[in-house]
Amino acid sequence: MNIVKWARLKSPWLLHFNTGACNACDIEVLAALTPRYDLERFGALLKASPRHADVLVVTGPVTRQVKDRLLRVYNQMPDPKFVVAVGTCCISGGVFNGCYNVYPGLDSVIPVDAYIFGCPPKPEAIINGVVALLKKLEGS
Amino acid sequence: MYPLLELLQILIFPGILFAIFLAFIYEWLDRKIYAKFQNRVGPLYTGPMGILQPFADFVKLLAKEDIVPNDVDKPLFNILPIFALTLSLTGFLALPIISLKGIISFNGDLIFLIVLMTLICIVVIYAGVSSSNRFSTVGAERAALQLLGYEIPMMLSVVSVGIMANSMWIYEIVSIQSNTFWFLIGPGILGFAIFIICGQAELERIPFDIPEAETEIVAGWLTEFSGRKFALFRLTRNVELLYLSGLAVTLFLGGPSGPIILGLEPILYPIYFLIKTLFVLFLLTTLRALFARLRIDQMVNFSWKYLIPIAILHILFVRVIF
Repeated sequence: MNIVKWARLKSPWLLHFNTGACNACDIEVLAALTPRYDLERFGALLKASPRHADVLVVTGPVTRQVKDRLLRVYNQMPDPKFVVAVGTCCISGGVFNGCYNVYPGLDSVIPVDAYIFGCPPKPEAIINGVVALLKKLEGS
Repeated sequence: MYPLLELLQILIFPGILFAIFLAFIYEWLDRKIYAKFQNRVGPLYTGPMGILQPFADFVKLLAKEDIVPNDVDKPLFNILPIFALTLSLTGFLALPIISLKGIISFNGDLIFLIVLMTLICIVVIYAGVSSSNRFSTVGAERAALQLLGYEIPMMLSVVSVGIMANSMWIYEIVSIQSNTFWFLIGPGILGFAIFIICGQAELERIPFDIPEAETEIVAGWLTEFSGRKFALFRLTRNVELLYLSGLAVTLFLGGPSGPIILGLEPILYPIYFLIKTLFVLFLLTTLRALFARLRIDQMVNFSWKYLIPIAILHILFVRVIF
């Protein structure tokens, strides 16, 4: 395996973006980063600036209000970048699907690499999703 | 001295390559100890026990896209990461590791080292301002304010060492300590404490990570740097961590000296140096794990009301004794 790919697999830095979630998914994302589950084992760190991050973790339904901000943060991230949609709302709009102000899923706005379903997903599921993303990268 | 040997010393051991290698190891140790304090395990799957984690981060950042925003001051923005790394590596060259003399050694080199540290901080301020991002600018302002806070007590503690050794030459400071006693044991302990606190502020680590406070100003002066520029700044921080713990060892813990077997000094000295710097690193990491971030006004207040008077009293005390 070439060294750059190895490095990318071993250090996915996360940026957490809330598009208007009810906070359930956010708490689960944070729980995945706390000592109980400790994502740093895999080299994952939570970063504050989009310029430093590799993986955009999006929670919540994508509303028309937040779309521009989401695109802006997405464009601020340096390539190669990956997007993970966490929670049913983010994947399809969830209970808000069909509302006039909600897009039918994150993938109608930006390309998504991994979907983690659940309302909210457990921290184990989020870690599983990140590992699935890394597996996908390893194969590509 | 043979010029080829000197070149090898500067480039490989105990010079630039050794410094970078050690910086990666120290970042790993720092993260591991920090994780232990928080009841975590820290990096685990990258190499044995996660020891390759900082290297993986570095390579990944090198391979990422390097974004230069439209509004930045381009020449400064491009050259500052290289400046920062060069300054910290130059500082490392002056530390005595394989003998009682550093690779760069001249009378008064202690002043040179302090100037280097201030220059790194000035590079930080320029980096923040040249980004022309509001968060970076606030970060740069805070870095400048913090510089006013920790710089003076740090210099005073270094001057107290100068008085104890009656010299500003690192070679003499180290050889006096190896002949008599370490300055840490005895009157220097207060100076050591002040130096460690100010070193923490110089490295912008908790409780003094005010210029890059994540929860307030995104990533402070680092906000706009991505890809290899960010990688170089991270490496600078790691080399600086190594350099500061090395300087603390040199000034207060007797540098690389210790019980020696004649003829084996070039092997034993680096080992003593490593053991002592690991002790200082452990202290720095403990401070980072035990405290929460201060506000900038609390930091400057603490420094001017308590740290500087204590440092001045310490100097008077040392002057009376020696």
